[in-house]
Amino acid sequence: MDLTFSEEEIEFRDELRDWLGSNPPGEEPRSDQDAAFAFRKEWQNSLFEGGWAAVHWPREYGGRDASLMQSAIFFEEMGRANAPLPANGLGLILAGPTIIAWGSDQQKDRFLLPILSAEEIWCQGFSEPEAGSDLAAVKTKAVQDGDEWVVTGQKVWTSVAQYSKWCMLVARTDPEAAKHKGLSYFLMDMEQEAVQIRPLVQITGEAEFNELFLEEARIPADNMLGGEGDGWNVALTTLMNERSGLGFFLQTQLRRALDRLVEDAKENGQIDDPVVAQALGEMHVRTETLRLLAYRGLSIIEQHGQPGPEGSLTKWLWSETNQMLSQLAVGIRGAKSLTEGDPWAYDLLRSRGNSIEGGTTEILKNIVAERVLGLPRK
Amino acid sequence: MKFDFTEDQHEIKRTAKDLLAARSTLEKQREAAEAGEYDLALWAELADLGWPGVAVEEAFGGGGLGYVELAGLLEEAGYALLNGPFLSTAICAAAISEAGSDSQKEEWLGRLASGEATGAFGLEGEIVPDGASSDVVVVAAPDGSSARLLTGEGAMPALQTIDPTRRYGIAEGELAEGEEMPGDVAAAIDLATVLVSAELVGVCRRVLDMTVEYVKDRKQFGRPVGSFQAVQHRCAQMLLSTEGARATTYFAAWAADSDRERLPEAASLAKSAASKAGVEVTASAIQAHGGIGFTWEADVHWFFKRAELDAAFLGSSGEHDRRLTALLSS
Repeated sequence: MDLTFSEEEIEFRDELRDWLGSNPPGEEPRSDQDAAFAFRKEWQNSLFEGGWAAVHWPREYGGRDASLMQSAIFFEEMGRANAPLPANGLGLILAGPTIIAWGSDQQKDRFLLPILSAEEIWCQGFSEPEAGSDLAAVKTKAVQDGDEWVVTGQKVWTSVAQYSKWCMLVARTDPEAAKHKGLSYFLMDMEQEAVQIRPLVQITGEAEFNELFLEEARIPADNMLGGEGDGWNVALTTLMNERSGLGFFLQTQLRRALDRLVEDAKENGQIDDPVVAQALGEMHVRTETLRLLAYRGLSIIEQHGQPGPEGSLTKWLWSETNQMLSQLAVGIRGAKSLTEGDPWAYDLLRSRGNSIEGGTTEILKNIVAERVLGLPRK
Repeated sequence: MKFDFTEDQHEIKRTAKDLLAARSTLEKQREAAEAGEYDLALWAELADLGWPGVAVEEAFGGGGLGYVELAGLLEEAGYALLNGPFLSTAICAAAISEAGSDSQKEEWLGRLASGEATGAFGLEGEIVPDGASSDVVVVAAPDGSSARLLTGEGAMPALQTIDPTRRYGIAEGELAEGEEMPGDVAAAIDLATVLVSAELVGVCRRVLDMTVEYVKDRKQFGRPVGSFQAVQHRCAQMLLSTEGARATTYFAAWAADSDRERLPEAASLAKSAASKAGVEVTASAIQAHGGIGFTWEADVHWFFKRAELDAAFLGSSGEHDRRLTALLSS
């Protein structure tokens, strides 16, 4: 057992720290969504110029061939530096690796570079009103018309759609085939009349997500990723990337939030209350457990080539802990944590989404029970 | 980073697991618990294999390996619900290694490592595993400010607890007796804390395995109860708690060998997670076993009892949470 970073990993981290030192991210504007997005776009461009936009991509496509551990370090350092997520996060984390895995040479030439530079923003068109946790239930249909596909249907929970040039779209191309066999994966141009975007106002009052209405939207046949009927497998590549290194970014955010709360509790004297001290300690245990589980998960993949159970546990533990922490903040800081504009008030509301987005906790528990513990399906 | 045992360490664990699966079956544990006796033949065998002294320096007759290896063995001992003085002797040796004088180390470490003597370690005012039945007992002040070494069986009164798989004593006033110990008592407590956490990890893993097997097999309403989501989600929660305890405990065992500055925090992380998991996971196992789980005849209750005593030993989850906040905010 060795829980220290290798020399190569330390070198990578120090190079990144140096770069962050001379290229500090600055403070993300909170009040205005458009301004915040523009800020994150500029930040990604700065990462791109420095060669840091997508460390986990292969070198030939503009990445750094980073190992899993280096990717983890990258996100941890970004969290530590209080950097915002890059504007084209979905392009970097999901679209890029999926195109690298499944795309033709032409598709790679066309799409990868503008993803890295944030020149073209990407969104993800998977979820539908009737297909949330159950992706195979997708109803949006694509019908071939010459060398184009004509797409009609509805998507929901599409974040950054209003800024996006492209959409990773899963649609049904064969209504006769079994549920997950009739799907295909498209790279859809968002800039057409047939694509209507309606913001979905969430419980925080903002609209991070959108609904997409597709009325005979057109996609050239060349923009299918993988073959006709491969949609399910291509989508799995996307989803497998969904839980990559990002967890380390979220863990460091959690760590910083907890440290702030400990400072607040020291200031107002609440920390002398053993009940408060114990609750803060429990948050510390959960936060460190999350970090250790995440590192152990990566290390086991590196050592044995096979993931252990850790990967399916961290997102669940993170979302639960983030919710507990913002609730604890209300208890420790009092009702000012419930006032408009207070960062904890925002976290209290936003964190309710954590156990739903990217796989509900209930679905994650099902996956753990069936795939990790091998319990029988219904 | 290699956040897992090395091949050699895996081999030690596998060998231990196989040996205990053959020699320390639940049937045997039941016999021993019901008779109130330890399987001393097995203890002699484990001592011959060098288990109690695996982390003791070679100069004192130990195996010269580390706390990672010892934690691995204790995890397997917990998995097998091993009876006998392995945990208590191992943590006593760790305590003397850290807190003992040269002559105390000289006198005791070799004998503890070889199993010729048995030992115990605990805190003043608290229940001590094998405290009333060991050849040498170390009792520490809970704040780590001092410790005493006492010899001879009956160094402290025996105590009946809810856990018949192990013998217990109660340390009352022992700090006024025995020999003073000049070394690092706080480190001794932290090491023992990590090691008992490792036993708890093994306990959690075992009842999770037993539960998964049971709910796959047991049928109600015409299908295995393990196909019901309510049962599945309970099992998933058991896994999350177990894996959290495991990751923090391995980190702490590594810190004991390789990063002593982080040991106090790591020990509390491990014990907080392992105490909580131990109690929750074993209680959950009883629930998942349904009515049969509440009977004396089913074996899950032995693990629940062991877990309750281990969880309280050297600080409950809540105590370690409070200690962490104190460490964090100082």
